[in-house]
Amino acid sequence: MEIPYVVTPRKDTGLFNSKIAIWLFLASEVMLFGGLFSGYVFLRMGADYPWPERTLPILPGLLNTFILIGSSVTVVFAWAALKMRNWMRFKIFMAITVLCAVTFMIFKGIEYNVKFHHQAVRLKDYTVLEGHLGKEMENDKPVLDHNGKEIEENTIRVKADSLTFNTVRFYKPWVEEALSEAKHRGSKVTLASDVEAVTEEGKGKQTIAKAGTPLSVDLLEEIAEVHLDARGHNADLRTAALKAEWKKAKQDNPGSKGWQLAANVSIDTEALNPRLLTEIGTVKFNVEPPCRLDFKPRHIQEGEGSSRLRDDTVVTGELLESPMVFHNIDAIDFTYLAMKAVERGVDPEVAIENSWVIQNKKWAREAWEWNKAQTAKLEDRLLKDYGVDRETGKPKREPTAKERYRIGWKEFVAMTDGADRGEGKTFLKEEFVGPDYAGREAKHTFPHAEIPREQVAFASKFTPSWNTYYAIYFTITGLHGLHVIGGALVLCYYLLFCRKMYLENPEWLANRVEVAGLFWHFVDLVWIFAFPIFYLM
Amino acid sequence: MADTPEAIRKAFLTYLIIGGILFVGTVITVLVATQEWLDFGGHGFDWHDAVVGMIIATVKASCVAAVFMHLNHERKSVYWIFFGSLFFCAALFALIGLAKENPIHDDYFYQAGEAAAPVGDTAAK
Repeated sequence: MEIPYVVTPRKDTGLFNSKIAIWLFLASEVMLFGGLFSGYVFLRMGADYPWPERTLPILPGLLNTFILIGSSVTVVFAWAALKMRNWMRFKIFMAITVLCAVTFMIFKGIEYNVKFHHQAVRLKDYTVLEGHLGKEMENDKPVLDHNGKEIEENTIRVKADSLTFNTVRFYKPWVEEALSEAKHRGSKVTLASDVEAVTEEGKGKQTIAKAGTPLSVDLLEEIAEVHLDARGHNADLRTAALKAEWKKAKQDNPGSKGWQLAANVSIDTEALNPRLLTEIGTVKFNVEPPCRLDFKPRHIQEGEGSSRLRDDTVVTGELLESPMVFHNIDAIDFTYLAMKAVERGVDPEVAIENSWVIQNKKWAREAWEWNKAQTAKLEDRLLKDYGVDRETGKPKREPTAKERYRIGWKEFVAMTDGADRGEGKTFLKEEFVGPDYAGREAKHTFPHAEIPREQVAFASKFTPSWNTYYAIYFTITGLHGLHVIGGALVLCYYLLFCRKMYLENPEWLANRVEVAGLFWHFVDLVWIFAFPIFYLM
Repeated sequence: MADTPEAIRKAFLTYLIIGGILFVGTVITVLVATQEWLDFGGHGFDWHDAVVGMIIATVKASCVAAVFMHLNHERKSVYWIFFGSLFFCAALFALIGLAKENPIHDDYFYQAGEAAAPVGDTAAK
């Protein structure tokens, strides 16, 4: 079947079909990205924390902008080459375009990877620390967990003596994890007591599982099945009994309204109880001998003596010391603390002086004192250069909150170099991936810090869960990245598999490349806005 | 739109010039954001810088749309489709303005423990 209007335009629209289709698609894309960008504005306006301004390294973003602009030029050249029936030239320009797309995604991948491995923690006094967590060591060797992996020093450790599972809500992977970890530490997890239940109406209790039975997912599922059967049976009985009561009440009191009767209608529980089956809501297992179990902080609500996982499993036992250990702190951020202090009517500097990190960590105090001195220098220079506003009597230009209250990795470098802010020596690689700890070890030291768990309010890698800035950043740039991949695949197809089409109907191929090119330009257009918004503002 | 080989040959230079404008525009945006001698408004980032950055971005986007996407001489149907969607996109941003006027973070809403008062009863605040 011949596809109509692939080369010649339709009379009504004046365009070939795929062109009108791509414009309709691009219209929907405008709405999609428009919605996301307006979402960005909304989140930024409503942020109840200091919005991270210029927090991403500019260089990778800038290079990616150049790459996309370049690819926009080459894709239009590729189309023009086809129009002029120059296949070789088309191939060269299209290959460059695809190469640009690949390079763009490599830079993006590096940027994402850095974020996914960079840790942040907000303390209870709103101080934010950033850096990289250490791995648990013993005799200078990393300790391996039950999966043979190194243990990041950000776990909640409990010397568990029992685990009580909710038979409906238990999460299989966590059960298997706990079981495997206990086995790794030489402990057994066994049923604490016999599980007995009435499973049929009118019959006595049956033993479902005996005390000492080893924990397994199958066992929990078996108990869960008994529990759910009993719950269903009991619910049916109660419903039937209640219906009968209502029917009787209506017959005894004809003409009465439901609300008048409600207070006197109830189930005779004493009569019903002998008919009920046993519901087994929880089941307890002993850990013998008690052993250390590690949990991810976001999975557990820890407590002294008893902690609860998010699947309602209760872990009893001594809560062990579980500090967050940073081997390299690369930023101390007091901007959030300062904002909260201003809200409370407290001098931000006084609040910072009283913060936990300043009170307890010598390196933090030194860094803060250095930063204060640098801010004072900057204040003097701005006053000298720009003067005072005549109307308000205040300096025309003043240091920003970020300069006053945030000590980033470049400040640490400058401090160790004995240089002023912005004058420490950094390497090109560091502009992409952040501080090079190993390369700087001899010269610069990023502080090592143990943060007691009770000081931690919230901790996360720089992922969407850290704050709304990263949530919208990953949403928009991730979706844009998917568009780059999709567009590059289509362009790659034209480059590699369309020689035959070129020979048979070159104008058709030119039209298809034009349509794909329109999409590619749109991808560039989105980035033109995304770059300043995320990297520069 | 350049459609004949002759017209396309002529358009090459235009495409290169637009590419150059986009490069220069990007460099200017970065300079505005990072260099004190090009810092608009107060010291550091503020709304002046945001406006300048967005104006440059809009000029760059217009260049891409007009020349690379050939919107400078397209059919009416394309204009209706594209600018129609832009209109709705602008409406989304206008909704943000309305949200600012009627904020979700209403202090009154969070006055826990105080006696309930009819909505709009400012005297109760």
